[in-house]
Amino acid sequence: MATKLTLALLFAAWAQSAAGQAAARLVPFRDSIAPTLVTFEMIPVPGGTVTLDSPTGPRVVVVAPFWIGKTEVTWDEYDVWVYRLDLAAAAPGGSDSADATARPSRPYGAPDRGFGHHGYPALAMTYAAARAYCAWLSAKTGRHYGLPTDAQWTRALELGLGTDTALSGDRRDALAWHAGNAANQPHAVASKRADALGLYDLLGNVAEWVTIPDGAPVVRGGSWADPVARVGPRTRAAPTSAWNETDPQFPKSRWWLADAPFVGFRIVLLTP
Amino acid sequence: MTPKHPRDVTRRAFVETTAAATAALALPPQAPSIARGAPKTLRIALIGCGGRGTGAAKDCLTSSENVELVALGDLFPDHLTRCRENLATMATEDPTLKPKIKVNDSQCFTGFDAYRKVLETNADLVLLATPPAFRARHLAAAIDAGKHVFMEKPVAVDPQGVHAVLASAELATQKSLALVAGTQRRHDAGYRAAMERIHSGAIGDLVAAEVYWNQGGLWMKPREPAWSDVEWQIRNWLYFTWLSGDHIVEQHIHNIDVANWAFGAHPVKAIAVGGRQRRTDPAYGHIFDHFAVEFEYPNGARLRSMCRQQDGTASRVGERFVGTRGTSDGHSVIEGAASWSWDPQAPKVNPYVQEHADLVASIRAGRPLNEGRQVAESTLTAIMGREAAYTGQQVTWDELLNCPLDLVPTDVQFGPMPVPPVAMPGQTGLTRSWRSA
Repeated sequence: MATKLTLALLFAAWAQSAAGQAAARLVPFRDSIAPTLVTFEMIPVPGGTVTLDSPTGPRVVVVAPFWIGKTEVTWDEYDVWVYRLDLAAAAPGGSDSADATARPSRPYGAPDRGFGHHGYPALAMTYAAARAYCAWLSAKTGRHYGLPTDAQWTRALELGLGTDTALSGDRRDALAWHAGNAANQPHAVASKRADALGLYDLLGNVAEWVTIPDGAPVVRGGSWADPVARVGPRTRAAPTSAWNETDPQFPKSRWWLADAPFVGFRIVLLTP
Repeated sequence: MTPKHPRDVTRRAFVETTAAATAALALPPQAPSIARGAPKTLRIALIGCGGRGTGAAKDCLTSSENVELVALGDLFPDHLTRCRENLATMATEDPTLKPKIKVNDSQCFTGFDAYRKVLETNADLVLLATPPAFRARHLAAAIDAGKHVFMEKPVAVDPQGVHAVLASAELATQKSLALVAGTQRRHDAGYRAAMERIHSGAIGDLVAAEVYWNQGGLWMKPREPAWSDVEWQIRNWLYFTWLSGDHIVEQHIHNIDVANWAFGAHPVKAIAVGGRQRRTDPAYGHIFDHFAVEFEYPNGARLRSMCRQQDGTASRVGERFVGTRGTSDGHSVIEGAASWSWDPQAPKVNPYVQEHADLVASIRAGRPLNEGRQVAESTLTAIMGREAAYTGQQVTWDELLNCPLDLVPTDVQFGPMPVPPVAMPGQTGLTRSWRSA
């Protein structure tokens, strides 16, 4: 364990140095989903180490430099995929043969719950759907987008919060939509204050899909539906069957969660 | 079903009594039949094995002890095969359901007469989940065969079907058979709590209401060369009025039913606008993609209804009631003199399971629920809205009940069937019949 830790720290030092050399390249950039006019912004996150909780105690993980979405993925972006807005002359109904990528089923109901759409975080998608979106976006843009690992998300949060890890009530209110201030619904992304990295809503608004080291999904950061105490840096929630309990179909949807209007995601990228 | 409604007060009282009785039944540990030991096994069968039907079977098996799924019927062999695969998955995912799924090859039937063969099995309760066009006939046959019934909404697509369902509901009462419909909000704890308050005057007298189901488009299966007209239409049943009733009937009925529940009555007339604006490809049949209806209740109160299935448009699904002393969303909030809100921390009960729990408990208690009339009235209310939009006329309840509108062929078989023209307000009339097509 001690040796592993030392090696990890050595590697981290190297990674940070490498990141430093590449600092000139570590700049924010804006990508677009052609041929639509929808764009989104990616913010660089320097590499380093994070300490993650694990069943065997704290574990140090090295994180290479990466880029992360400035905001949660919005409906503006997600709709392009769901409704095939990228396909100029889409066949009616659009079987999956219209392009090579599987697309979500049409939900019986309104996944946005009427909370708001333009500029609001996409929500209530399964982890598999969020991953499929990333695969589609990667094919679309030629860049390898994915969901954050638990370590990447943690790294972004730690740099974003800076030294104020206590996260006072006032600061949480300034940064995050939670059950105490959100009036029972998510809000437009970036309508709270940005953190030190320039990221919005890592805490609160929608909880965000990440992949933990064993490959399983959890959501991080808490959401508009969580009490403020659950909207914090250490909050993780694993999906349960209750999140899709009232989908009346069997099999239940692979794409949509009937009872999780508090789940969304943001994307990451290793190389622009 | 006269337009004067002297019975409305009585009916309102009836609705409340029924709700109270059902609430009591929903507490199995106190039920005397259970206190005496395990209840007799209830055998269930599914007619219509698509995603909703299979889901309904799961909900029923989950809802109660000593229930077994014994038979399946579907028009299409591929649907039946997929359903059996999905049942196997279900048994793997939830081991408590495995011993409840007892479907043998000999108890699986396909074709237009599959429902008759299912009704010949020893099932006690049948779940009717085919496209709505077939519901009225399947229900009549099920009640005739002495089966208890769960049936998905809507329960008809035209007044002929509604007449048949009302007759079946009456017969079910005479034969002490239970009849529960898939209007699951009636079994949702939040809705029941709010309705109880509305009915006891928490928002004063109801003077107006609004109901909405605005969303994007739904699934469509591109036509395959081997499919006849009828097979193509049934596989895409959403998009043909004779099969689904149009989306105001197929989907928006949920919200319209909540309004009828709140008012304790059905509307007496309607005017409406609607059309087919966005979803115009022939692959989507001939139904509309938006409606806006004004319904008028016997007391003069008006219900504004709006429904839409257009991609990329603002969504809203829900209800709002306006009374002389307050307002309510019908399920979680009352604002006004008697403010109230549903506790979001209250244990969540899945209404799709609860409706089956209530159904099974009512059978075992010897007090079978019968929701036939209420769902038939909500179905006809939605049809009234559709026809007001299709025809461009004011349509009254009595006029609709007595008109010749008749959309479902007596004997549906695979073969040619032209697609009716898209309804044209000012030209389309209530005299449409498959017989003259």
